Amino acid sequence: MGAFLQAVASGLILGSIYAVMTVGLTLIYGALRTLNMAHGTLTMIGGFVAWIAATTFGLPPLLGAVAAFIVAFGLGVVIYRLAVAPLIGHRDFELVGFISTLAVAMIIQNVMLVVFGARNKPVDPILPGSLPLPFQITVTWHQVLMAVVAIAILVLLHLFLTRSRHGLAVVAVAQNLDAARLMGVDARRIYAATMGLSAGLAATAGVLLAPIFFVSPNAGDLPLLKAIIVAIFGGLGSVRGTIVAAFVIGLVEALSSLYLGAKFALPVLFAVVFVALTIRPYGLFGLSQENRL
Amino acid sequence: MMLEVHGLGTGYGQTQVLHDCSIDVPDGRLVVVIGPNGHGKSTLLRAISGLLPARTGTIRLDGIDVTGVPPQGLVRLGLVHIPQGDLLFPDMTVEENLLMGAYPASAWRERRAKRDDVFVLFPQLAGRRRQRARTLSGGERRMLALGRGLMANARLLMIDEPSLGLAPVLVDEVYAKLREIRERGLTVLLVEENFSHVTTLADHVYLLESGRIVREGAVDALLADPVLMSTYLGV
Repeated sequence: MGAFLQAVASGLILGSIYAVMTVGLTLIYGALRTLNMAHGTLTMIGGFVAWIAATTFGLPPLLGAVAAFIVAFGLGVVIYRLAVAPLIGHRDFELVGFISTLAVAMIIQNVMLVVFGARNKPVDPILPGSLPLPFQITVTWHQVLMAVVAIAILVLLHLFLTRSRHGLAVVAVAQNLDAARLMGVDARRIYAATMGLSAGLAATAGVLLAPIFFVSPNAGDLPLLKAIIVAIFGGLGSVRGTIVAAFVIGLVEALSSLYLGAKFALPVLFAVVFVALTIRPYGLFGLSQENRL
Repeated sequence: MMLEVHGLGTGYGQTQVLHDCSIDVPDGRLVVVIGPNGHGKSTLLRAISGLLPARTGTIRLDGIDVTGVPPQGLVRLGLVHIPQGDLLFPDMTVEENLLMGAYPASAWRERRAKRDDVFVLFPQLAGRRRQRARTLSGGERRMLALGRGLMANARLLMIDEPSLGLAPVLVDEVYAKLREIRERGLTVLLVEENFSHVTTLADHVYLLESGRIVREGAVDALLADPVLMSTYLGV
């Protein structure tokens, strides 16, 4: 009983952080119809900014997180301008956008490797200690913070996308590009803003994950893999699907770790996604995709 | 003059669709472009609203040369294009679709008053405000497209075949709404395949055939021409 509850708690916490990590990838796919392979790198950058803010400047964690969001937002816009915008209109945009952002990821990772070295850098949890829980269930305060921050971010994102002028424009460009342009939306500015926002969200996830996984130049590889799994499982481009998929995958991972052992978590995940996509090829909430741009 | 199109030519790839089209839309008038399907009516509107670049000719809005201005710039200047087939945002709610219509900053500030105004004109939309656009009926979708077009601060409204694909009773309803919109003093450029829909509404009519303006005149003058009626309009 205790073990099962532990797995469910871990699964929900994992799910909330997966949702924040992936939703940016989904927004970019919705707007631009390509996968941003530098998304995991931005998670890594978020962790590095938090680490530098804490160790070099002695800033409190909240300011570190804000700094990570701002740095990543800027980097996201730069990546858009240099590596994505020049390719818009290419007949294989989905593929060349994928390759181009993969190249960006490699460059950034190797620059970080040269500058900071390969050693794992530890980051203190933002809140120390654990909750007093029965049945030997362990949930640290940092994990609680992760889940609370993640859910707050998702609620704010929902309000932004459904109430605000620019948020609605992000959704509008994803749903019908020509109609969005006729409403007065400058699609290229929305693309840039979407890349910036997504990068900021990825970096925020990186800040929250840093105390758990250490900070290192390849710290974004696993988050990218998980984010791609979640995004495809949820239905590429669907924000709602992404959030549902994140929690499903978090729970599957935690439960399979409990009953089969941690080394089976990823194979089980792949099996579940494989079966789900066989039945629903466009993911949980996905719609068949059309070509665009 | 609200809109002056002079010598406009455009097309897709190797195919030239429009040749040397000239159209004037005076302030406060409702001008109609009539023509058979596939002869360039929608292309004409797409070229005027900047979705399709003009290859030749000039477009003036209120005396200002706007040739080559992208759609988002023209919307800010008050040129609103309600496209064929509605082009709604299918997974947004009715209300979110309307709010997107108020995207230009000046319209966004007045979005609530404008939305309530649209709900007065189209009461059936008010009851469905939280419903996703993809779940609406054909008639409701058309009403939503028109309502969304009214959310911007339009000075010239370009409407592409509002009757397309609708049952006759709904066509009458859409045209009754257009009459109300027109009585508000908006300038309208309307594209229509069926001349009979617009005979009591139009101030001036252009006839577009094979990408060229082949005739123009007041409704009465065109109706009085039996050859024209039978050849082009099958009336």
